[in-house]
Amino acid sequence: MHNKPTHRFLRAESITAFYIIVVAAAFLIPTTDLAPLSALLPAAMLVGLILLALVMLITDQRKAAAGEEAEAVVKSPKRVFGAFGLIILYAICVDLIGFYISTALSLPLVAFIFGYRSPVGLAIATAIVLLAIYLIFGVSMSQEFPTGLLWAK
Amino acid sequence: MYSDLIQSLPNVIAWANIAALVIGVLAGIVVGAMPGLSATMAISVLVPFTFGLEPLVALGLMAGIYNGAMYGGAIPAVLLRIPGTPAAVATTFDGYPMAQQGKGGYALQVAVVSSAFGGMASAIALMLLAPPLSRVTLLFGPAEVFWVAVFGLCSIIFLLGGNVTKGLISACFGVFVSVVGSDPIFGNDRYTFGQLELLDGIHIVILLVGLYALPPVIDLLESPLKTENSAGDRLGTEPIWRTFPQMLRFWKTWIRSALIGIWIGILPGAGGSMAAFMSYNEARRSSKTPETWGNGEPEGVAASETANNADTAAALIPALTLGIPGTAVAAIMLGGLLIHGLQPGPMLFRNNPDIVFGFMWQFLFGAILLVFLGGSLATNSFAKLLKLPRPLLGSVIIILMLIGVYSIHGRMFDVYLMLGFGAIGYVMDKLRFPLPPVVLGLILGGFAEENLRLALRIGRGNWMVLFQNVTSLILVALTVAVVVGPMVKHRLIDKKKAESKG
Repeated sequence: MHNKPTHRFLRAESITAFYIIVVAAAFLIPTTDLAPLSALLPAAMLVGLILLALVMLITDQRKAAAGEEAEAVVKSPKRVFGAFGLIILYAICVDLIGFYISTALSLPLVAFIFGYRSPVGLAIATAIVLLAIYLIFGVSMSQEFPTGLLWAK
Repeated sequence: MYSDLIQSLPNVIAWANIAALVIGVLAGIVVGAMPGLSATMAISVLVPFTFGLEPLVALGLMAGIYNGAMYGGAIPAVLLRIPGTPAAVATTFDGYPMAQQGKGGYALQVAVVSSAFGGMASAIALMLLAPPLSRVTLLFGPAEVFWVAVFGLCSIIFLLGGNVTKGLISACFGVFVSVVGSDPIFGNDRYTFGQLELLDGIHIVILLVGLYALPPVIDLLESPLKTENSAGDRLGTEPIWRTFPQMLRFWKTWIRSALIGIWIGILPGAGGSMAAFMSYNEARRSSKTPETWGNGEPEGVAASETANNADTAAALIPALTLGIPGTAVAAIMLGGLLIHGLQPGPMLFRNNPDIVFGFMWQFLFGAILLVFLGGSLATNSFAKLLKLPRPLLGSVIIILMLIGVYSIHGRMFDVYLMLGFGAIGYVMDKLRFPLPPVVLGLILGGFAEENLRLALRIGRGNWMVLFQNVTSLILVALTVAVVVGPMVKHRLIDKKKAESKG
């Protein structure tokens, strides 16, 4: 999603409307295989999404034609994409190398990257959080966490 | 009708339930005090952890968090002029000037006492109004239930304000998500793409955590808040029992604001911010010294804080009786009820009176606890919360989100699904798509579809079965009114503006 669009078709609302139309149209394909009553509500919703997204697209393009500037969607795109990337990386790591190791690595890493730079504070916070998770969820609630696909193989 | 209310009381005062309420109120104040975190986010993160708990313990936690967070939002509003929750915006108008004059402690005490009053009034309204309303809704058949669902969706889209097209897109998306999984009548798969994990549909908690918890965390990491200008170091707090007599002069404001908050709470789509603003304006209008407002008038804090807490339990009146939540938090609470097998709506009061009435008591006790837990000493401690490093807080919330979602079925698939909804929720949030219609669409979508198909079966495929009785027609008329009403209102306003210009 572009933060400061250089072209009228690259405005955030127009791109979003376009994606909604494409995705909803793609979902209409498996809808044709369903029984009529089973397809009734999903088909109505998908067609509704396409029509509403068209309205959104036209409205946004009219605004663009009238010279209305699109608002900035995010204040600092690098930090937003960085945060998303790190969260996804954390989830993948949990899946691959296990929950406790991933958490021990990602908690201080995320906090450090996003501005908390005290090594002692990070170490203490990581230790407290891991211990609390182990005692509350692992011991008292018998919650099992992913141990890591890599070790399982 | 009210005998169930009395009979449910002994269950509520069990130690586990009281402890849950205390923890909930404290946690709610902490969350509310953190700008960027909200009751909505806290409850959506908490919901998965309540799976293994007794329903009343889980609901006590939620009621406590909701009550606590609505007051907690006043702490940064008073000390930093940054509302901790959207509903605390009006509290900044007089709260912050009071803090600058060294009366921050008193402002927070007015806020806590007013919040408690508003919360108690709201809980009493819930106790008095919900049972008779639920009796009426027991008479509903499949056609009426379908129309109730349509009315609920329309009211949250059209009364929420903002862009109607975006509201409708949100609702269509929510309803579409509700149809993923096995067809409730034919049993065939819909949009599962061979994934066994999707056969049972998409769990509401996965959607809630993704939509409501991930975007605030990204915001938290995107722009860390600076709290250097906090007035929290010079609160000038006196014991609450000494300052309470000075507050008694606000009694008229408390009653007026509580009534406004309750009314706004019942209306679907309005919410605490509107209640606080309306109440503040009304109190200022009827004040003998309106010129002092905005310069540190404690009555202003009392007005907004009473109203935003009076909105809490009242928002559950349509939620518990009809399955239509008045606010986003109420929508999440419906999700909380669902995971404990409690279907909000007409049958809830008949099948689970002990739980539903116990929940009402918990709202009342939660409001009372606010005074004790948010009093003078605690207020000083909570003010220090503003100094917690936010990147660290963000990291901890991410971990809690993962644990919560993973623990639903013990599989990482749900975590990836939650991240997907989180990304969608973030884009929707930034482009100002309303999120409550998505949740309501998911809750009511399946409900509406099942009842629509049942009604059509009863009517042997004749669509006129949906319009064949008076109740259905009244609900259709209400739905049309909700859709057309705001449009007519806008037209009239535009016409008046054009006339005044001409």
